[in-house]
Amino acid sequence: MAKNRYAYFPGCVTLNSAREVQDAMLALARALDIELVPLNGASCCGAGVIKQANWELQIALNARTFAQAESQGLDVLTPCASCQGNMSEDFTKLSTDADLRERVNEQLESICGLRFEGTMKMRHLLHVLVEDIGLDVVSAAVKNPIDFPVAGYYGSVMQQDGACGDDDIYDPHYFEDLIEALGGQAVNYDSKAKSVGFPSLLSEESSAMKMTASVLSDAKSEGARIMASACPLSHINLDSYQVKAGRVSGSDVDMPAIHLPELIAFALGAYNDRYAQLRTRVLVMGN
Amino acid sequence: MSEVVVWIADGCITCDACEEEYPEVFKVTDDTCYITADSRTDGGFDTNEGTKSSLKSGLDLEAIQDAASGCPVDVIMVEVGSSGDSASEATAEEPTAEAAEPVEAAPAAVEASMDGDRSLLVLSGSQSGNSEAIAAKAGKLADIYSLEATVKGMDEVQIGDLAAYQRILVICSTWGEGEMPDNAEDLWNAANADGAPSLSGSHFSVCSLGDTSYEFFCQSGIDWDGWFEKVGSNRITPRVDCDVDYDAMADAWLSDALAHMGAVDGEGNFNEEMVASLKEKAAGGSKKAAAGSAFDIPDLVGQEIQVNARVYRYDPESGQSGHDVWRCAVPGSVSVLELLRLLKATEDGSLTFRDGNADDPTTAISANGRNILPGRVAISEIVRDKDGESSLRIDPLSGFDVIRDLAVDHSDYHIHLANAKPWMHASTREGTKVSQGIIGTMDAFAAETIHHASDFPSCQLLHASSDTVPHNRSYVGPAVIARLWARFNDPRTSQKGKDGYLATIQSENGIKAEADLSSVYKSGRAWNGAGASLLEAKRKTLQDDGFTGRHGKHVWWFSETVKLSGRLNETVLAGATLGPFGMAKNAISGVLPRMLLGFTRTGGPMIRDLQALAAPPASVGKMPKMINSSVDDHHEVVAIFNKFDRRF
Repeated sequence: MAKNRYAYFPGCVTLNSAREVQDAMLALARALDIELVPLNGASCCGAGVIKQANWELQIALNARTFAQAESQGLDVLTPCASCQGNMSEDFTKLSTDADLRERVNEQLESICGLRFEGTMKMRHLLHVLVEDIGLDVVSAAVKNPIDFPVAGYYGSVMQQDGACGDDDIYDPHYFEDLIEALGGQAVNYDSKAKSVGFPSLLSEESSAMKMTASVLSDAKSEGARIMASACPLSHINLDSYQVKAGRVSGSDVDMPAIHLPELIAFALGAYNDRYAQLRTRVLVMGN
Repeated sequence: MSEVVVWIADGCITCDACEEEYPEVFKVTDDTCYITADSRTDGGFDTNEGTKSSLKSGLDLEAIQDAASGCPVDVIMVEVGSSGDSASEATAEEPTAEAAEPVEAAPAAVEASMDGDRSLLVLSGSQSGNSEAIAAKAGKLADIYSLEATVKGMDEVQIGDLAAYQRILVICSTWGEGEMPDNAEDLWNAANADGAPSLSGSHFSVCSLGDTSYEFFCQSGIDWDGWFEKVGSNRITPRVDCDVDYDAMADAWLSDALAHMGAVDGEGNFNEEMVASLKEKAAGGSKKAAAGSAFDIPDLVGQEIQVNARVYRYDPESGQSGHDVWRCAVPGSVSVLELLRLLKATEDGSLTFRDGNADDPTTAISANGRNILPGRVAISEIVRDKDGESSLRIDPLSGFDVIRDLAVDHSDYHIHLANAKPWMHASTREGTKVSQGIIGTMDAFAAETIHHASDFPSCQLLHASSDTVPHNRSYVGPAVIARLWARFNDPRTSQKGKDGYLATIQSENGIKAEADLSSVYKSGRAWNGAGASLLEAKRKTLQDDGFTGRHGKHVWWFSETVKLSGRLNETVLAGATLGPFGMAKNAISGVLPRMLLGFTRTGGPMIRDLQALAAPPASVGKMPKMINSSVDDHHEVVAIFNKFDRRF
C-alpha cells in the first residue's frame, strides 16, 4: 500500500474536456507513490455556480462527497483549484454552522445513510506535494528537468483562508517552489492569484477575456515562456480562449498554457512525446 | 505658605488617584482633572493650565506634592514660590526632556496679537459621542493657538450665552432624518425663537457630521451654519460636511479653524497674515507635545527586522514607473504607514502616498499582494521571509488609476456611489412605546443582518478587492452593491426606495457585471458579510429574471446537468447558454481553430480534436463529451436535488 493515500476527486472538467489532466495525474501518482482512491459516487462540486441558485443545495452535494471520503478515512485530493476553493468554503460552512450541518445530515442519512462529521480535509495537489510528499522527494524523482521560465497560475478561488494549506493567501509561493524543484525557472508575477473570470466566461465574456489577457500578458512581460495552471477551469480561458483574449484586449498574450499535473508528469518522465511537442510549442510561441 | 500654583498638563488618564489623595484641590472629571474652584484664588474651575492661578493659603502643600508624586502619568505640575518671585519647579518628577522642550517661539507678530480676550467657545451637538470627542480635541489643541477654550455641550449653554464670545466653533452631528441630536434640540428651538441674540462682531465655523447614506446629509450642521450667518456672525472658515469616516476631514477642519480663530485679536479683528504663522507654530507645538504625551502609543521596542522595502514609483510627467528598493532596519511593531513616513522623511521626500490616521480608508494600499489600511498593519504581520531576509512590496491599491507613486484616484468609486444614491429613503412606520417615549425599533435579527451586510473595513478596499473592477469601469463595484443591498433589506426603507436600489443592483452594470465573486472572498473573513450580500443579490437577480438571459441560463443549465448525471456537462451548458448564434460566433473567433490545430491538447489524442469536425463543439475550446456517464448511486444526487430545490 502506498504511503500517501487520498480519496481522489478529479472534478468534472478533468473527466470531460481536460482528459490530459487525468492522464497526468495517474502518471505522477505512480511516480511519487501516491495512491488515488477513486470516489466514483462523488458529484460535481457546484463550482460556485449552483450556490447562485441555492447554496444549501450545493453544500448538501459536497457534504455527500465529504462523507464518502470520511467513510474511507481519507482526505480528499483534487487537481482542480476551483473544486478546492469551493469545496473548502462549503466544508468551512458546514463545520462552523451547527444548524446547517444538522439539517444537511438529516437528509444525507435518509438518502444515503451517511453523515458529515468534519474529520477529513480538502487538499489540492499543489499543497499535497509541498506539505505531504516533500519537494525534495519530487526533485529527486525528476527525469526531464523543465528548463524554461514557467509562470504558475493559482487562480483566485483557492487563495482563501482554509483552502490553500499553509501557503500565503495573498502572496503564495508553493507553485514557484515546486517549479524550481522540477528544474524550472519560476517566474513571479503580480497576477498569479487574480481571477481570469471563468465563472462568467459564458455570460460576461468581455470582462473575462480582458481578465484572462491581463494575467497572460503580465506573466509574459515578466519573462514567462509557458504558463502552468493549477485550475483546469481557468485553463480553458488561458488556453482555448487565448487568441480571443488577445484580440479583445489588444495585448500580447501568445504563450503555451498547460496544466500543473502535466508539468509535473513531464518532468517526472511521463509522456515524452507530448513533452517534446510542448518544447517545440514553447520555442515557437513562448517568446 | 509661599504662593503655590498647581495645574494639570495634557495627558491625564483620570485614574482618580489625586482626588483620593486630596479632594479639596483635585476633582477628576470625565476626561481630565480640574483644580477645584474653592482652592483657587480666582475661583475658576478647570485644569488651571491656562491661567495658572495660585492656590488659596491654608492648603496642605505636602498632600499636594504627594498627589503629584503619586500621579502615574506625571501631569500634576506644582510651582512653589513667593509672590512675584520667578517660579521654581517642584514637580514630583521632572517632565521628560521632550515634553519640557519649549515649543519654538512663534513669530513676533503672532505673539504681539495674543493680548486681550482669547476666549473660544467650542459647542458640540452630539448623539453618539463623535461630535463631543472632536470638541474635546478642539479644547485640548486650543492652547497651541493661544486660545482659552471653553468646551460645552449644546445642552449646557443658553442661547444668550453665545453673545459673550467672539470666537465660536460648532461641531454638530445629524440624527435620523436631518434632525438635531438630543442635546441640541432645546438650543436650536431657542435660537429660532423670538429674542435670539445678534452675534455681529463674532466669528464662527461649523463642522458637521453625518452619513451620506441618509437623504438629509449633515442637515443639522447646515442649519447651524445658516443660523450663525443669519444672526450676523462671520463665517471664518467654510463649513465642512463629514461622512462616517470623519477623522481626516474633521482634523483638517480643526487645525484650519483654530488657526483662523487664533488670528482673531482681542478686539475681534481677524488678521489673516497671522494664520500661516499660527499653523507653523501648531505644527511645531503638536510635534513637541506629542513626544511626552501620556496618550502617546508607548515606544515599544519590537524586535528589529531587516526589511527590503520595494515601493512602487510612478512619475506622471515622464510616464516612468518601477520600484525603488530600500533596505532598512525597523522594529516589527512599526506600521506600514509609519514605514512609508520614515522613508519619505529620511530617504526620498518626493515619495507620494495618502497619509492619514490608522482608520482612514483613503490611505489603503497593497502590501505583498494584500489590500490593507497601512496604519492598521504592522510590518511583522506582513513581511515575507525568504533566505533569511524579509521583503515587503508596496504597491498602489488595485482597481484605481494611479496619480503618483502610491496615491490613487478614488473618483471612479465616488462617481458610482453618487449615481447609485444609496441614501436612506425611509417609509412611515409605527413607533414602539418604550420607557423613554415612542421610538422606532427593529428586531434584533434584522438589525444584525443589516450591520453584517455593511460591516467591512473600507469601501475603497472592498471596491479594490474585485478582480473585475479594473477591466470593466462601467461596473458599479462590490462596495456600492453591498451598500445598496443593505439598504434594500432595511425594514425602514420605503417601497420606492427599495425599487430604486434593486434597479441599480440588477442592472447590467450591477451584480451581473461581477465576473468572479471569489476575488472578493479572498480578502478574508472580515469581508464575508459583504461577500454574502453580493451572493444574495446575485441570487435574487437571477430568480427575478426567471433564470433567463445568459446569466440565468448559465446557472440553470449548470444545475440541471449536474442533476441529470451527477456531473457538469459542458456541451449542454455552453449550447444552452450561448445559443446557436453564440456558438457559431465563438466557433469563428479563434477558439475553434485553436482547438482544431491541436494547440490546446499538448499532444493528446487527436481523435478528440477531430471530433469537433463531426459535431460543432461546446465552444469552450476542447471537445468535451456530448453525453455524461452518471456517477455511482446517481439516484442519491437526484434525491438531494429533490429535497433541497425542486425547481431543477
